[in-house]
Amino acid sequence: MAFLWSLASLISLEGKGHYIHWHFIYLSVANFIVILLMVLVFLAALFVPFPGRASRKESK
Amino acid sequence: MSKKGFRPDVDAPEYKGHYAPYDIIKEGTIAIAVVAILVLFLSILFGSPDEPSVTVKSWANADPIDFATTAINEMNGSSITASYGAPYNTNGSGQALGPLKLAQWTGVTIPVDPVKDFVLDPLASVPNDSDLKAALAMWRGASASQQTTWVTNYTNADPKMTFSNGIISVPATNVGPLPKMINELTEMARSGALDQALITGKGGYYTTDYTKPLLFIADSGYLPNLAQNQHLLGSQWGMMNETNSYPGQAWLWLYTFWYQVSPFSSSANADVQVWAVMMLLSVLLLLVPVIPGLRAIPRKVKIYRLIWREHYRNS
Repeated sequence: MAFLWSLASLISLEGKGHYIHWHFIYLSVANFIVILLMVLVFLAALFVPFPGRASRKESK
Repeated sequence: MSKKGFRPDVDAPEYKGHYAPYDIIKEGTIAIAVVAILVLFLSILFGSPDEPSVTVKSWANADPIDFATTAINEMNGSSITASYGAPYNTNGSGQALGPLKLAQWTGVTIPVDPVKDFVLDPLASVPNDSDLKAALAMWRGASASQQTTWVTNYTNADPKMTFSNGIISVPATNVGPLPKMINELTEMARSGALDQALITGKGGYYTTDYTKPLLFIADSGYLPNLAQNQHLLGSQWGMMNETNSYPGQAWLWLYTFWYQVSPFSSSANADVQVWAVMMLLSVLLLLVPVIPGLRAIPRKVKIYRLIWREHYRNS
């Protein structure tokens, strides 16, 4: 049981949040990271080749 | 019959290339499995926000003077709830969209009388306190103008209010039974009894209607301070933030964005105005396929050619 507890919240986010303040934009660093990850996933969806493409090419 | 010309926004040319098998069930299953594993992994890694909820008890213990001040503001009618209007009462104009008095049209659907609901009724539920019963009888027996005089005198002395040894003191005269009433209410709040009295006003023991305690707490100075410290105020883009260092509801960026810019940032009707703007934008999004110009954006931006670049390279 103690082992399971030690696995919980390995990285604590309970500390005071950090914020990016630019003109009237006020964005938490945590949200900024999530938005950045979403942009990365979108770019990956655009540029990473479809799986199985190589095998389809070979079978042509 | 005349033959129509090819309309690039609307018409699709007949596909003459080769077809490949595609299993959408397989793809959906893989996506759900990947997301489930990610959720499990991230929840173990980061946990979730566990901020203790604010109750009347926690508020009154943390800041008894703020509680007593809010209670007297409920009695003098200057609190947000007391002066809000519909759906709680008729003391304010409520939210309106230009000439459309939307809140007034729907009327008082959740009646809240702050003096009765937040102060008098909870105090009347305290058993075995003859002094309190006498104070309440004195209040109820007084004329409206007498009550107003007491409340005004108490309110004027409110900045000098002190709290010591569990007693709220205000250096004021001609305040009738108010010192006893406010003290008892503060004591009730600090013990947790007021939380229960406010949520069980209707519907019996098992009610889950927290409207009244939430409104009472929202009238305080304590809750906005907590919210400000956690960057949760409307003016801090709070709608998309979470407590501490957790990521919040980033997808609400557009909704909360409007609250930061004029004229919404200074409007008393910002809630309904921002809602109207978002509804308008939602309808526009829904109607993109039939709006010339907007519907041509994907064709002109050509992102689809990036996704299907292999096909377009070969064709």
